Amino acid sequence: MKYLKIVVTFFCIFSVSSPGVSDPIFGSSKLLATAGVVQLEGAAGSGLTTWAVISGYGSNREIGANAHYTLAMTQDYSLNAVGARFGFFDRIELSLTRQYFDTGEAGAALGLGEGFNFNQDIIGLKIRMFGDAVYAQNSWLPQVAVGVQYKKADKTAIINAIGGKDDDDFDYYFSATKVLLEHSLVLTGTTRLTRANQFGLLGFGGDKSSSHSVQFEGSIAYLLSKNIVLGVDLRTKPDNLGFAKEEDSWATYAVWLPNKNFSVTAAYVDLGDIALHKNQRGFYLSLQMGF
Amino acid sequence: MTFITKLITISASLVWAASVNADDLSLYKSLGEKAGIERIITHTLDLSFTDPRTEKQFTHTKKARLIGLITDQICELTGGPCTYKGLTMKKGHIKLGTTEREFNALVEQLQAAMEAEKVPYRMQNKLLALLAPMKADIVER
Repeated sequence: MKYLKIVVTFFCIFSVSSPGVSDPIFGSSKLLATAGVVQLEGAAGSGLTTWAVISGYGSNREIGANAHYTLAMTQDYSLNAVGARFGFFDRIELSLTRQYFDTGEAGAALGLGEGFNFNQDIIGLKIRMFGDAVYAQNSWLPQVAVGVQYKKADKTAIINAIGGKDDDDFDYYFSATKVLLEHSLVLTGTTRLTRANQFGLLGFGGDKSSSHSVQFEGSIAYLLSKNIVLGVDLRTKPDNLGFAKEEDSWATYAVWLPNKNFSVTAAYVDLGDIALHKNQRGFYLSLQMGF
Repeated sequence: MTFITKLITISASLVWAASVNADDLSLYKSLGEKAGIERIITHTLDLSFTDPRTEKQFTHTKKARLIGLITDQICELTGGPCTYKGLTMKKGHIKLGTTEREFNALVEQLQAAMEAEKVPYRMQNKLLALLAPMKADIVER
């Protein structure tokens, strides 16, 4: 709730200062949909995949900002996330997210107690290195960004008990995004150096493997119409914990963007096995507001 | 079905959806040939000359002449029987100091004009794909 308050306050301040006539610094001049939406860890991207684009609709002389709320529900678990992110001059992105992972009845079965929550805070920084995903249509060169995410999970004792090594760590990634306007497609490939268990909610490193490994995120998005984007995401994950196998994940989604200030992403996600519960599938819904 | 098979199936169907769009209708025809292009450009520049984001870049521009030039340019680019006789994009925008913000605004004006002419969305993107590289010669020169 505290987070929500901060986000709302932030928007009150910025929405007052954003409209203006002579080149305001808070602006939304980037083209619709070219800022992506929000991915699971709070960076600009699609549901599971981090994109090389910088959040918000700010161009090279503007600052953009967004707040999001995400809900994912599978048969046995639910995940809520709330956060905000800022894009500075289409160059640097800063993101803050808190995730609440509710084990529901599965918590009781795992001996944690019904409705036991694993929470995590994520601070992300992304820098666009080179390339122009949207306008360099005469070249195959994608837009390239590098990023780092600091993650801090809150249930240290449980994480250690299930074999996790640490309750906090850094993920590093390298991302390339290309818009193929000729085909109305947006392609992204990202490699991530990580040792996060279930994105970090179950800690970092484990009894099976405790070092960082290279994982892959990929996304194909089709610009169906001015306001609708369809896509598919895939993301591989490490498998560090001996007590339960961790599997790769994928999602297929539709985004509705009526304008630059609001979007809704609905997805079907398959997160694989999570903490001894098989084939976790379900829906994913993410709302975002910003400029 | 395994994870990978599923993904390949979904990805393939998306790419297929994108490629089916490459129907026989040429871009030039779907823009309404030269007359359609002229209407689109007229509409675009009507917006450019009045939109507070772009109007100051056009205060010394003769609208009718610019409509003719851009119409020829797009007609030629999309395979129509026209010849663009204006300056190169680089020469034409030198010292104008066009910002990314102004450029993006013009793209949005063009999108609005194409929408008004009922140009299919994927065809709009095909035209933008041809025009997009000009940004490098236009912005912040």
